[in-house]
Amino acid sequence: MKFPSLSWDRFRSGFNSYRKVIRLFALLFLLGLSGYIYFLDVTIREAFEGRKFAVPARVYGRALEVYPGLKLTSAQFADELRRDGYHENPEPNAPATYKYTLNGLEFTTRDFVFGDGPQAAQHLSIEFDDGKVSQIQTRGDKETDLPLLRMEPPLIGGIYPGHNEDRELLKLNQFPKLLIDALIATEDRKYYTHWGIDPRGIARALYKTVTGQRIEGGSTITQQLVKNFFLTSERTLTRKGTEVLMALLLEMHYSKGEILETYLNEVFLGQDSSRAIHGFGLASHFYFDRPLEQLEPQEIATLVGMVKGPSLYDPRKNPELALKRRNVVLQEMASQNVITQAQFVAARRKPLGVVQRAPIGTSPYPAFMQYVYRQLQRDYREEDLRSEGLRIFTTLDPIIQHQAEVALQSRLTQIEKSHRIPANTLEGAVVVSSTQNGEIQAIVGGREAQYAGYNRALDAQRPIGSLAKPIVYLTALEMPDRYTLITPLDDSPLVWSQPGTPDWKPNNYDLKFHGMVPLHTALAQSFNVATARMGIELGVENILDKLPLYGIERQPPPFASSLLGAFDLSPIEVTQLYQTFADNGFRTPLRAIREIVTADGKPLQRFPLNVEQVAPAGPVYILTAALQGVVREGTAQNLVNWLPADLHVAGKTGTTDDLRDSWFAGYTGDHVAVVWVGRDDNKPTGLTGSSGAMTVWGEMMKNLQPEPLQPVVPDDIEMVNVDPVTGLRYDDDCQTGEKMPFIKGSAPTVISACASPSTDEQTNEKSAEDAKVKPGDKQDSGKSWFQRLFN
Amino acid sequence: MKYRYIFLTAALLMLIAGCAGVKTETSSESAAQEQPAPVESENKAVIALLDLAHTDNEAGRREAAGASLERALRIEPRNPWLWHELAQLRLTQGQYEQAISMARKSNSFAGQDRRLQALNWRAIGDARVAQGDSAGAEQALKQAAELEQSQ
Repeated sequence: MKFPSLSWDRFRSGFNSYRKVIRLFALLFLLGLSGYIYFLDVTIREAFEGRKFAVPARVYGRALEVYPGLKLTSAQFADELRRDGYHENPEPNAPATYKYTLNGLEFTTRDFVFGDGPQAAQHLSIEFDDGKVSQIQTRGDKETDLPLLRMEPPLIGGIYPGHNEDRELLKLNQFPKLLIDALIATEDRKYYTHWGIDPRGIARALYKTVTGQRIEGGSTITQQLVKNFFLTSERTLTRKGTEVLMALLLEMHYSKGEILETYLNEVFLGQDSSRAIHGFGLASHFYFDRPLEQLEPQEIATLVGMVKGPSLYDPRKNPELALKRRNVVLQEMASQNVITQAQFVAARRKPLGVVQRAPIGTSPYPAFMQYVYRQLQRDYREEDLRSEGLRIFTTLDPIIQHQAEVALQSRLTQIEKSHRIPANTLEGAVVVSSTQNGEIQAIVGGREAQYAGYNRALDAQRPIGSLAKPIVYLTALEMPDRYTLITPLDDSPLVWSQPGTPDWKPNNYDLKFHGMVPLHTALAQSFNVATARMGIELGVENILDKLPLYGIERQPPPFASSLLGAFDLSPIEVTQLYQTFADNGFRTPLRAIREIVTADGKPLQRFPLNVEQVAPAGPVYILTAALQGVVREGTAQNLVNWLPADLHVAGKTGTTDDLRDSWFAGYTGDHVAVVWVGRDDNKPTGLTGSSGAMTVWGEMMKNLQPEPLQPVVPDDIEMVNVDPVTGLRYDDDCQTGEKMPFIKGSAPTVISACASPSTDEQTNEKSAEDAKVKPGDKQDSGKSWFQRLFN
Repeated sequence: MKYRYIFLTAALLMLIAGCAGVKTETSSESAAQEQPAPVESENKAVIALLDLAHTDNEAGRREAAGASLERALRIEPRNPWLWHELAQLRLTQGQYEQAISMARKSNSFAGQDRRLQALNWRAIGDARVAQGDSAGAEQALKQAAELEQSQ
């Protein structure tokens, strides 16, 4: 189009001419129209190119590694299979099927692409014996045992594009021919011959609209695709016009195959709470829990029928309407010879066959997903996460997550009942990580764990109270010439003055002062005053400055009250803190992601294990011994109601002012876990650390069957026989006293005469109490000397 | 610059080795020649993963090798040989701080296994040489030599 050059004179003379005015307007109109068309062209091409590959990131939990000797029951393994979408089948030869056998299961795995390459489907059998895996074999090969089987990891969620669209992208040749034929027979019979629009269809629609009848579709597949790109339900003539123009433009730029492929992946086919189901590939999983290529004709017809109205013909919500619509589609298929008459008759009789519970889409683990997502946002652009089809392998262990959720929910309900607390006023959070590598195995953000919402595990910043004490004690124990487990601490009244702040007079929970107490007792009984006084001697800032070493970035105020936990941390931050204590002084940053792989299986990023020694092993070993004392004989001794004493759990209770926050942090040989219980409005709950959070912790751990805590004894540690109260040292073979760890050279050197060894006779009152101090009978020992001191 | 350090440290080491009356041939390879290969694990799953890690490592796929070692560690988190393998891998990857940390971690689980302790100190020494910390390297390699001698 060329604008004619006009001189002013010609313009003036021409202006008078009526015909030329018309011509000018026509020209301007054409110019405007071509501009508009150009605009539409750019818009539709951008939409087409952009949507073509928008596949959300998929997030997987940990892959279960199964090997002979692993502690796993056949019931737990079957649970894992079902979680992975396996179905029971008497002939388990298709991928993702299983059946029970006498001592185990037979099953067939799926092809799966891991970060380190593809793993082909295998026909396997597994046997269990005495709560353990005893044998894994390839079926048909009784000669060789498999040393190790890596299961496909469970899909735990996705990161969806802007409108929460989910899709499974397929190539045109991956769609069954039957589906394409059925779609064309029902929606657009002239698809392969028209130019993007069907003039007769439009004319009919126009006529009906103008004559005031129902406004009708008459849309081709191309037009429907355009409509899908710009999701509005508005039906006006201008919109229709735009749609027609865009459809024509689309056909000019792209082949029929490309348009059809995009349509099949794009079409909206239902809603799963906040997630929109796009494309036939995903819809097949969503409604039938099977891939598209395994669908039968009537199932394909059900999906094709939904194109007309995904909500109206939703087979779960409106099964009768969906069935009617399906049969209409089958009829169309038969009349177009897509299926034979016999197939039609057979298919018509079959039920809808939709699975009632949709496979998970929006994650059942919203709290964990949020943590993963926040970590990803640091390294990746939002749009890449939502559209590049990345596959994200995480550390979530569904078995542990389940136990954490159940324990929190059931304990809070019971606590509310037993403490006469109004129902559903308590809230809580749980974080579980692996002791040896810092991998996060579970995050529970609230008692209704399935619902995304306020994520208390990450976002509830609460005063940590006595959970801070181990930092003070570790600082002390790093100076073995000044502090050992039996060093007497002064628990008499204390006033701390600092210019600019009111005097601080810490008190103990029992509102008593206990005089001189051994260091291990002060921690076990969580005495505030003795701890604060020792902390002040060590230097408040010296202690608080260590927090970054243990992975805590937040800096508490430089007051002595911070030593008693008058500063806020979230449960996940506390987990990081205790991780270092649990891992012998090695700090491992908590990790939720192992690996990110591109859509075509290439490794993109790995998050390898990182460790750094931030505290010397000897003092950490002694701290752990003291924290085991908290559970054996201190504020957490009721944990024995859940966990046997021979697990030697280490832990610490935390209770804040007016009983607002109830905390428990602790570790076993294999897990570090932190529990917070409190109220969202921060009002008092009436719970201490041991009556609230600790019971959740115990309930959860009981069901996880943890490994006992037996830290390796570092080289610089010696076990010395001492009286835990008086601090007197005895000969190793003296039966009075208790073996306690000391940094070599820091134990008392003077050896006292061995008091008459307490025997089973228990002749007098004193020896009756002393008897409880016998090694090997530690369970009650603490209680006895504690009572002796303070009763 | 870096090469000069390495050269200097190497010269220093030979001197120390000479003073200590140790054969100058104290590399981990010669130690391996003298002793049978260690049994790194009794668990067949761990052995399978170690084999996988070795194959990947030899093919230059260090990240994949690391992933397999981490899988093995999830099965046997307190196996000092696995931590040692990870230390060696970090060394070849040029991640010297991590190599040192992993070797320390291995030593924390090594108990009375002086041979493994020596190997770990050697790894720490090598990492420090590469970091240009000649004093630290000297100390670590001396420790390794002492442990090798006392075996």
